[in-house]
Amino acid sequence: MSATSARPQESRRISDFISLGGATGPLIGLILLCAFLSIATDSFFSLRNFLNILDQVTVIGIIAVGMTFVILIAGIDLSVGSVLALAMMVLGYLNVEAGMPMGVAIPGALIVAAFAGFISGLVITEFKVPPFIATLAMMSIARGLASMITNGSQIIGFPPWFNMGAIIRYGGFLTMSVAVMLVVFALALLFQRYREGGRALYAIGGNSEVARLAGINVKRATVLVYTACATLSGLAGVLLAARLDAVQPTIGIAYELDAIAAVVIGGTSLSGGTGGIGGTIIGVLIIGVLRNGLNLLSVSPFLQAVIIGVVIVLAVAAETIKQRGN
Amino acid sequence: MKSHIKSALLATAMMTVAGGASAQGVGIEKIGLAVPNLQADFFNQIKLGVENYAASLGIEVITVDAKGDTNTQVSQVQDLLTQGIDAFIYIPAGAAAAAVPTRLARAEGIPVINVDREPEGEPGDTVIYGENVMSSYEVCSSIIERAGGAGKMVIIHGQKGTTPEQQRFEGCKMAIDENPDVELVAQQWTQMWSPDEGFSIGQNMLQAHPDIKMIFGQADGIAMGAAKAVEAAGLSEQIVVGGYDGDVAALESLARCDTPFVVTATQSTQAMGVLAVNSAIAVSKGASVPARQIPNAVLTDCDNAAQFVEKHP
Repeated sequence: MSATSARPQESRRISDFISLGGATGPLIGLILLCAFLSIATDSFFSLRNFLNILDQVTVIGIIAVGMTFVILIAGIDLSVGSVLALAMMVLGYLNVEAGMPMGVAIPGALIVAAFAGFISGLVITEFKVPPFIATLAMMSIARGLASMITNGSQIIGFPPWFNMGAIIRYGGFLTMSVAVMLVVFALALLFQRYREGGRALYAIGGNSEVARLAGINVKRATVLVYTACATLSGLAGVLLAARLDAVQPTIGIAYELDAIAAVVIGGTSLSGGTGGIGGTIIGVLIIGVLRNGLNLLSVSPFLQAVIIGVVIVLAVAAETIKQRGN
Repeated sequence: MKSHIKSALLATAMMTVAGGASAQGVGIEKIGLAVPNLQADFFNQIKLGVENYAASLGIEVITVDAKGDTNTQVSQVQDLLTQGIDAFIYIPAGAAAAAVPTRLARAEGIPVINVDREPEGEPGDTVIYGENVMSSYEVCSSIIERAGGAGKMVIIHGQKGTTPEQQRFEGCKMAIDENPDVELVAQQWTQMWSPDEGFSIGQNMLQAHPDIKMIFGQADGIAMGAAKAVEAAGLSEQIVVGGYDGDVAALESLARCDTPFVVTATQSTQAMGVLAVNSAIAVSKGASVPARQIPNAVLTDCDNAAQFVEKHP
């Protein structure tokens, strides 16, 4: 399984298989995990619990989609947690403090998040700052700005329907936030498979110089990817604000690590060019199911941390060994 | 005696299982406990209080640790409710105490006992938190007395603007105002209530005012850091340091009694855990509990620290 390709033609053919190609291992892992938990606990295998898990992975799931695109082009985005907090604080400021309707506040929050990603992208492409450093700087800047909005304190007092959107299960199934996540997943899968731009990302991640010579506008694509990733973080922030019915500038610390872990567990290589959204969705579910299952098993919090670390190592090591075998 | 009660309760519990009704037992079989961050000794002590006391009653406790993240905590509370807990002890995580866990538990119709803080606009059945003003008054009075009732004093605060920071200052100020010969010459704020901040701030203060006689650190970590700075400056004989909280490390240091740090207020963290379990049982039986329950902190010095090291209150 090697989707790394300098030639767009070849990557086009391979990309049809990509979304699950690198993720069969994680998928098997996920199924085994679910099977084990169904036997080990009597509360895991129920519709209510599965819906809970979907609720619980919404934020990390949406961030991980953006992170997948970034990692596919061999980049990294450490600022997602801070950008999420910034978007939340902007949302709270516009809606509660400035009294604007959600129809204005939500787009406002997304625009601020997108702008943060746009700046990161420019710094990376125009000033040749490594993505790690550029987004590390943005992590600090966005966190600082988020704290400055209210001088560090929280904002509460959103309209009641906002929180209900994250709690009420419409038709007995989907909360508004889970529905948004599923739409993001679907659009990302379609984009990756059927759009020229989606396939170009693999080429850039494989070898950006060759991609450029092949006629792909690498700079433009890179800026767009970081902008999209930040916008998705902002969107996750809006949903998180609905879930918590409150916003605070210290939220989202270390979410970038959860997102990166989900992407990597899903089979996307940190060196870029291989993997995809399908794997990431499975990676997100593995983390969600694992956390949920450990809680249901009443595993001590200290041991939970150890187990999650071990699973991350196992998932990535298994993938590496499989590739070496090929 | 204790094991006798235990086996009696166990028998009751088994009867309950067999009979399918819980009227004979304490009314609760499973408690969910959501803590913000078990790395902090304060929360860990509350957890131990809840778990040990509940175990003696034959109640199962499921503890989840949010690691300081509000979103994680909401997920964990969903999982607790999936497991069919009969009561929910909620210590909110993060700077914003989320109302959502309370709402979710309310929707299940189970008792909600808040410890330490409660979310604005969504109170539980009761809230249990440590008293700050009177206890810090006692600590500062004790420092002043030990220093002979006169001289220069400095305060190293916790994180500016937080409730304990403000209340502990309020209490200490009362003690200072009662003693006209005591002069408050400097105040500084830490970011994280940490020992290294206490050390460096203490060092700078000693540089500026070598003749100070009293230091109040608003948490034990701060106070112990400042005490190290005093020792490093060779002023151990001249200066008295007071702290707050009664952390395990601080109590051990007091029991040894070999530093300028000689007095603190030990918060009754384990008692808070016991109180939380008792409140949960009472509420589930339909009894009324006070909206606020505020256990006192105990003034602790070299003489009584050893007993608290033995068993934390």
